[in-house]
Amino acid sequence: MNYFVFQIKTALSNFGRNKVRTVLTSLGILIGVLSVVILIALGLGLRNFIQGEFDSLGSNLLFILPGDVIGDDGQFSGGGGGGVISTSFDERDVSSLRSRINAEFIVPLYTSNARAQAGDITKSADVFASTQEAFTLFNFEPESGDLFNESDVTKRSKVVVLGNAIAKDLFGEPSNAVGQTVRFSEQRFKVLGVLKEEGGGNFGGPNFDRGLFIPYTTSFVTINTDRKFFAIYVRGSFEQDVEELKSQIERALLRRYDEDQFSVVKQTEVLNAIQSIFSIINTVLLAIGSISLVVGGIGIMNIMYANVTERTKEIGIRRAVGATKKDILFQFLTESVLLSVVGGVLAVVLAALIVAVVQQFFPLALDATAVLVALGISSAIGIFFGVFPARRAANLTPIEAIRYE
Amino acid sequence: MIATEKVSKVYQIADGEFYALKDVSINIKDHEFVSILGTSGSGKSTLMHIIGLLDRPSSGKVLIDDKDVSLLSDSELSSLRGQAIGFVFQQFNLIQKLTVLENILLPTQYVKGKLGFDAKKYAMELLTRFGISEKANIYPNRLSGGQQQRVAIARALIMKPTLVLADEPTGNLDSKTGEEILKLLESLNEELGVTVCIVTHDKNVAHRTKRQIFVKDGQIVAKY
Ligand SMILES: Nc1ncnc2c1ncn2[C@@H]1O[C@H](COP(=O)(O)OP(=O)(O)OP(=O)(O)O)[C@@H](O)[C@H]1O
Ligand SMILES: [Mg+2]
Repeated sequence: MNYFVFQIKTALSNFGRNKVRTVLTSLGILIGVLSVVILIALGLGLRNFIQGEFDSLGSNLLFILPGDVIGDDGQFSGGGGGGVISTSFDERDVSSLRSRINAEFIVPLYTSNARAQAGDITKSADVFASTQEAFTLFNFEPESGDLFNESDVTKRSKVVVLGNAIAKDLFGEPSNAVGQTVRFSEQRFKVLGVLKEEGGGNFGGPNFDRGLFIPYTTSFVTINTDRKFFAIYVRGSFEQDVEELKSQIERALLRRYDEDQFSVVKQTEVLNAIQSIFSIINTVLLAIGSISLVVGGIGIMNIMYANVTERTKEIGIRRAVGATKKDILFQFLTESVLLSVVGGVLAVVLAALIVAVVQQFFPLALDATAVLVALGISSAIGIFFGVFPARRAANLTPIEAIRYE
Repeated sequence: MIATEKVSKVYQIADGEFYALKDVSINIKDHEFVSILGTSGSGKSTLMHIIGLLDRPSSGKVLIDDKDVSLLSDSELSSLRGQAIGFVFQQFNLIQKLTVLENILLPTQYVKGKLGFDAKKYAMELLTRFGISEKANIYPNRLSGGQQQRVAIARALIMKPTLVLADEPTGNLDSKTGEEILKLLESLNEELGVTVCIVTHDKNVAHRTKRQIFVKDGQIVAKY
């Protein structure tokens, strides 16, 4: 026990006398661990975020998209005809589906860009034209005012529900927007309500916070004069078998279209395709992290190696007054373990802080395995290069070590 | 008690080999008080390091109580160095990062098991006897050469060794302090029966001991 106290005290007083070196060594370990942990947290966070977005839509969701979107291998293929979407759907498809299949929601969607104007402020925004069911499908709730209802759809009411961000841009406060008028696409729309903040739009997905949500019927007047839809969302009830629903939809659509003119995609298929992209991103991040761990490790090696070599004379003196080889090894082991542990623990604490702060803007998730592996590798490097040269010095005779320069 | 048998120490140098010691056989008995006398570069320190188990001979044997030390394990050798032998280096070899007191106590840190005495108290006693007790908490680079020499001697004595090897113990001291150190070594030998071996180039110092070993060009000679 006394012996351990002595070794730890020796180590601490050595640190005290070599503050710069101690800080640099710990810093090397800290940076190595921190970069790996943060990069992996970033990759995982992105993946969790996407997963969460999809989970909130429910697993019994199907997308009907024009063209042959998802290849046989489950990956996205270029889409119908190399990015040019050759077909799109219309009201006839929606009513044909409604009459032939039994689903909770069948929601057509049309989107386009628009410049929304209120008073003398003009902002760019995204038009989402759909039915009132879209709000339920996407779990949208109003922060102020109301959503449009079925009768607004049938009556082609000139009403709009604003995304949170565009409402703030145009009216300052979301609550100010209700009852006001917004102009876009040469029409005036009465603002019925403003949605709660949604987030999203980060990864090229739709940014609902900048959305202008209008009944699809209203869009036919000036915006969507072709009366086409880019997608139809179908959600089955919980008891319904998604596969069965999918083949029902396919049968219904095959009455009008060829097999390669449309795709019915399960939400899980989209998720898998996206996840496979993210696993590539994660691998890249991991590679970058590993490089920084190696770079940090080389820094640790240098400092540890120089440290021990410089202290060869001290090792010789200690050996001359009775220290065994094991005593010397233990002394340097204690020092390198303390350095590695302090650097590593600081890195983990710092990583946790960074994750906590950044999480408010961007998804990040700490991964225990990544933390342990990074800690393990950097400590192993630190300890090896702390102990290996010390072992060499301890194997010299005391006089050789004392004379070493 | 400690003996060498045909010990040689060869160094590789630019133009071949250099014999710092050649076929040196000496025998120092228990409770003896001897000196090794020789000119500068004759190989005194080299011999002392080998006797003190701090260096390995290139050939020949070192025997302690008739046992060949090359057969001893590292922990046996270490405990001999730490506890049985007190070594005073010519260049002192104090650890600059440790205070005077910490340097003196260093050998006690490597004792496995319990010390039979209060080491700190004994260290202060030695410092007081050497007239440098007020320097206990100072770092060695703040000391004069003679003060550092006395710290080195205190470190050699702290474990109450049965063999004291001192390389030029009075080399940096004025004649008065040098005399005190010699008296101390004499009393260690006479009162406590400690075997004392000192290295010196000074005939007067050598004549204070009961026997002289003459070294010349790495070899033992009958007399100068
Ligand atoms: N590592 C070494 N490599 C080469 N030659 C060495 C080495 N160490 C010592 N020598 C040589 O061995 C000889 C004896 O050295 P040593 O230190 O034993 O002399 P010394 O008798 O103690 O002299 P001094 O009285 O000046 O201390 C010297 O000529 C020295 O140059
Ligand atoms: Mg010498």
